[in-house]
Amino acid sequence: MNSTVKSNQLIKEFKHDLSGLSVNERQVLEKLIKAARLIAPIYQKQQDPKYPGANFYPHDVEKTEIENAAKKDPSLLDPYTIVKRKNGKLISVPYHLEYRQYLLPIAKQLLEAAKITINREFGKRLELQADALLDGTYDVADIYWLSMRPYKIDIVIGPIERYDDRLFFTKCAYQAWVGVMDEVETRKAKIIKEAVFSSSRKIITPVQQAAAFDRVQLRIDKEAIFSGLIAKFMFSSASLPNDVETISKYGSEITIFENSLNSHFVSRHHPIFHAVFEKKFQQSFPIEHMQEAALLSSLVHELGRQYLQYRGAEERLRDVFPVIAEIGSAVIGIKLLGPLLLKGIITQKQLESVLVIFFCRAFDWWDKYKRDPGAASYVRGNAIALNFLLSSGALQQQGGISWPNFTKMFVALSDLAEILEKILSVGGYQDAKDFIDNYGSFGTFDLFRPKLSQVLKDSS
Amino acid sequence: MPQTKKIFLTAEGLEVLQRELDNLVRITRPRVTERVQRAREFGDISENSEFDSAKEELGLVEGRISELERILKNYQLIVKRPKAEGFVVIGSTVIVEVDGEIDEFTIVGSPEADPSKKKISNESPVGQALLGAKAGEAIEVTTPIVRARYKIKEIK
Repeated sequence: MNSTVKSNQLIKEFKHDLSGLSVNERQVLEKLIKAARLIAPIYQKQQDPKYPGANFYPHDVEKTEIENAAKKDPSLLDPYTIVKRKNGKLISVPYHLEYRQYLLPIAKQLLEAAKITINREFGKRLELQADALLDGTYDVADIYWLSMRPYKIDIVIGPIERYDDRLFFTKCAYQAWVGVMDEVETRKAKIIKEAVFSSSRKIITPVQQAAAFDRVQLRIDKEAIFSGLIAKFMFSSASLPNDVETISKYGSEITIFENSLNSHFVSRHHPIFHAVFEKKFQQSFPIEHMQEAALLSSLVHELGRQYLQYRGAEERLRDVFPVIAEIGSAVIGIKLLGPLLLKGIITQKQLESVLVIFFCRAFDWWDKYKRDPGAASYVRGNAIALNFLLSSGALQQQGGISWPNFTKMFVALSDLAEILEKILSVGGYQDAKDFIDNYGSFGTFDLFRPKLSQVLKDSS
Repeated sequence: MPQTKKIFLTAEGLEVLQRELDNLVRITRPRVTERVQRAREFGDISENSEFDSAKEELGLVEGRISELERILKNYQLIVKRPKAEGFVVIGSTVIVEVDGEIDEFTIVGSPEADPSKKKISNESPVGQALLGAKAGEAIEVTTPIVRARYKIKEIK
């Protein structure tokens, strides 16, 4: 297999404005983009949507076989090892050894960038990241990244997201992004963040809550490149790290990806909006309002995620954790907008637009899922929300055209947020499974299929 | 003739806005005007991104100057009343209980509203609903989408 050719499908480069960057910053950016491009071939080796364990585990292995073997050898379920069969026995190989030949040229680019940057703190960050790729000290690099002062240019590179491991939601897939901060939008977003975090909020089990709200950094970036898993899913935002204990001690960083967000909005969300909402209804949502709401929606999704950093949630909920956590973040994010509306920080139209965007995103994930089962957690979570809205009467549909009642929708999503937070904070595996079984049917999406097939690539 | 709406300002807010206007007129406006002049000298303004960016900045500065001038022509100073008065006025800091949670904020005139500093506008739904309310009172704050019951615990 020619992984270089294939990996091109896993690289998304965006037009980016260099006018705000110095000559030195442009040179650094170029090196980082080169490093990011080289991640795609590694991800290409890891991914395989045909298998629930992708290529992280042998394709013939049963889940129970891994669980049993991991009792003696926990490294089999380490996020940064690949599992192989050797003489009939399961063994683990650390990523930094398995992919060393691919990682060496990436580290070289990072070190070259470190050498030329005039920002010494950022240079140190790049050195630590290069080390992490080659020796597996990812936590050292993460901790430094979280503690350094925000810099105009950012790079996140390495094994990060776990969505492709549908067996255990454990193994991290490689991805990279490089972005340049949009300082104006970042300033505006920080006002919303401060307003949200400045009101104390009831936390179901405070002892279990790990989020460090005073150490949540936020940036809105114009990203130059996505590579690896993130290029496949085209995320519009991220909050890292994923490890709850690291978050608790060192905080987290939220990044909103403006280019990905805008590209999604224009090519997917806005056409979906036109397909599934009634014409007169559409007229009261001008495109500029909707586009602004798309950013606000991503922002509050990530702010919502900070409230769901409950210790032990991943261990209790195992493979269904991402379903509950993703949709939980989205609906808590919407709930957080309630007090902002009452305090005059956002307008009613902005809240309505966020609710409309929420709906459009659900259909977008459904379409992505049809092409890649790695999106399963997202689409299942969105199915839960849509079914919850329909069953509460917040959403009526007739012939694939929807008629939302925003008041009922807000109340229903607030109720849903409470249920999901309870599951994440104190619930068990069976609680989560039962809730997903009750509300997670994909049938709702089919009601809208005729309208949506005009705008989405319908694989059925 | 339409009546001009009075804008409420605290003495502190008035000082901040006067200082901002002074700074914009004396320092920022000349600096940005000079930036526009310099950019014009770079050549063809139809393909000059520095010129576009400088012009845009000047537009924002002029817009803010006009806005501040309008506010400073139509403001009404809020005289800080003693806490003993016992009800919420513009300038009051209130501690409320809402949905089982405690929140604290100051109600200010709209130009001073700054959510990151817990200052909310008197024109916001919460601001409008709480003005005149007494400590111990519970007020229903409603918008067509969101509603909440605010119980006033303390007025500072």
